[in-house]
Amino acid sequence: MPSVVELVQSLVNGVGIGLVYGLIAIGFCVIYNASGIVNFAQGVFVMLGGMFAYSFLVTLKWPLALAAAASIIVVAGIGVLVQIFIIRPMWERKAPMFAIILATLAVQLLIEQIVILTMGDQPRTYPEFTLGGPLKLGPIAIGYQLFWVLGCGALMVVLLQLFFNKTRVGRALRACSQNREAAALLGIPVGGMLMLSFALSAGLGAAAGILITPTQYTAYSVGAPFGVNGFISAIIGGFGSAPAALAGGILLGVVQSAAIVVFGAGYKNVIALTVLLIVLLFFPKGLFGGLAKKH
Amino acid sequence: MKLGKSIVLAAMLSVGMAANASAEDIVVGSSLGLTGYGSITDGHWRDGMTIAIEAINEKGGVLGKKLKLVYEDNKSTPQQAVVVYRKMMSEDKAVVFDSGCISAGNFAAASFVTKAKLPMFLCSILPRLPDEQKWAFSFLPPPKFEVETRYEYLKKIGITKIGILGDPSPYGTIMRNIALAEAKAAGMDVVANESYQQEDSDFSVQIGRINASGGGAIIMIGQGNAVITTANNIKQLGLNKMLLLSSINERDLVLAAGKILGDQFMFPAPLIQVAQDDPSVITNPTTKAAVEDFFKRMKAKFGDIDPAQSSRAFDSIMMMAKAMEMAKSTDGEAVREAVEKIGHYDGVGASYDFSATQHVGVTKNPYAMAHVVNGKIAFKK
Repeated sequence: MPSVVELVQSLVNGVGIGLVYGLIAIGFCVIYNASGIVNFAQGVFVMLGGMFAYSFLVTLKWPLALAAAASIIVVAGIGVLVQIFIIRPMWERKAPMFAIILATLAVQLLIEQIVILTMGDQPRTYPEFTLGGPLKLGPIAIGYQLFWVLGCGALMVVLLQLFFNKTRVGRALRACSQNREAAALLGIPVGGMLMLSFALSAGLGAAAGILITPTQYTAYSVGAPFGVNGFISAIIGGFGSAPAALAGGILLGVVQSAAIVVFGAGYKNVIALTVLLIVLLFFPKGLFGGLAKKH
Repeated sequence: MKLGKSIVLAAMLSVGMAANASAEDIVVGSSLGLTGYGSITDGHWRDGMTIAIEAINEKGGVLGKKLKLVYEDNKSTPQQAVVVYRKMMSEDKAVVFDSGCISAGNFAAASFVTKAKLPMFLCSILPRLPDEQKWAFSFLPPPKFEVETRYEYLKKIGITKIGILGDPSPYGTIMRNIALAEAKAAGMDVVANESYQQEDSDFSVQIGRINASGGGAIIMIGQGNAVITTANNIKQLGLNKMLLLSSINERDLVLAAGKILGDQFMFPAPLIQVAQDDPSVITNPTTKAAVEDFFKRMKAKFGDIDPAQSSRAFDSIMMMAKAMEMAKSTDGEAVREAVEKIGHYDGVGASYDFSATQHVGVTKNPYAMAHVVNGKIAFKK
């Protein structure tokens, strides 16, 4: 039986990784709500965020804030390119949704191969944003990077909420999510909103990648597992809102972490997928799906 | 009519080309994990084979024919390994295999490769069944050497309580079992036995458990990028006294882990890996000349890549060529028997002693503990 310290420490670790899953899940939600597309290339945006941040921060020795901002902008630009060259043509030709979703999977593989060919397959990591640490609360250790993940995650959720609720563009994006045809009739440029959703989603993924790389590494191959966990988080939370997706991510991170403590690493995904199935059985729209609909 | 003639002519040409290809080249097939968790090690295995084949072909090839390397990406999965082995057998007409370190992939293909009586030179451990082992030659130092080197070092510095953190690959499982079995005799007390998955992004829980159990050092079992995550997690947990003794690993990975953990990180290294930064560690003049030639070729073609895997890949091709010359044939049965008769062979990556009863070539521990000092690999003193 695991000790209380082990459980608390696993809770801390689970929250840390869960926040990252949550940010990725929000990226899934933004595109899904604007278009109905599940973007399986979401994971590669996480990978690209870490890769570009490494290049700017370590290779070019740019300051952290500049390196992070530049990485987010570059990856958001890649998201826009994906939308322009892959998604939009299929969308305009009225390709079936499954074909578009399959195309996003192909985009992931394509980007991974391009990264191998251009940046190599070596893993990269860089130091935590605040050196020193961890913060010790008795036997519990909390790495400083967790606070960065927590702070940046909360900030991004607040900004997204403000964007969706207080700005014209954000409200237009929400209108698209509720009824694309009606939004188009009202003069909302649905195509432009879709492009914006890809930029936002890619930028969020990049931010997650920049935040998590100091606690592990980034390499061409890290996108897929992050994408899968982000997708599961989005389903658990429900595709309705950013806070719900974030909560889904935290829940998944904590469950995975607790599963390692109680059952061992081999059972981590078994338990996580069991939780997913339970959620889907009892809450088909996700834990917070119903709640989000009311708003 | 013209179309009909063209088709017949094209068919004749294609048959002729295929006949030419098989008549002129000796095709060496290779199943490599060029993507997935084995990408770095298997990429280097391919590089080592490539320069060895170039060196052999420069001198006229083998039995008057050129060696030709055909490799396929098994994506580090056994399922894809089966597909690529079959493709290289049926389409490329490979007469021998020299494959990478994805043991599960080589295991999966071993049954039908050995039924076809094709020798397998492997970066990985041997397949499990005796009939399969008969056709396979492993150039990987046995896992026990990695364990013993680390245990000896820990004993020397007075740390006896250890935690094991291993991956569930066949190679990892074998090494974990060895580590558990040999712990007592080596004076080690395994206080925690933890696992991880290669794709996991956080090992804090497992590391925390090892620490909570009183472990003073983590014996990490398994190669690949996970060593960087482990090093980062140790640092984030503030475990300033916890040692991390990783498995053998690629240069880039150990340098990255060393940069994160400093003196807390160390690993078993073969002589050639340290020689890349400090050639003076090789004292035997014959070996030194061979190693210098190897480094020269490698640097010209691929730059400063890790020599640990590529040097043994180089050796494997050299021994394959030697066996073919001895057998005066590329027939699988003849080559297999010739490898068993080569006797002691000093390569650039290690020394090998294959025989009819010994299909794991490396029989003496080639490792010593190393660490990272100022961005370079050096032996621990």
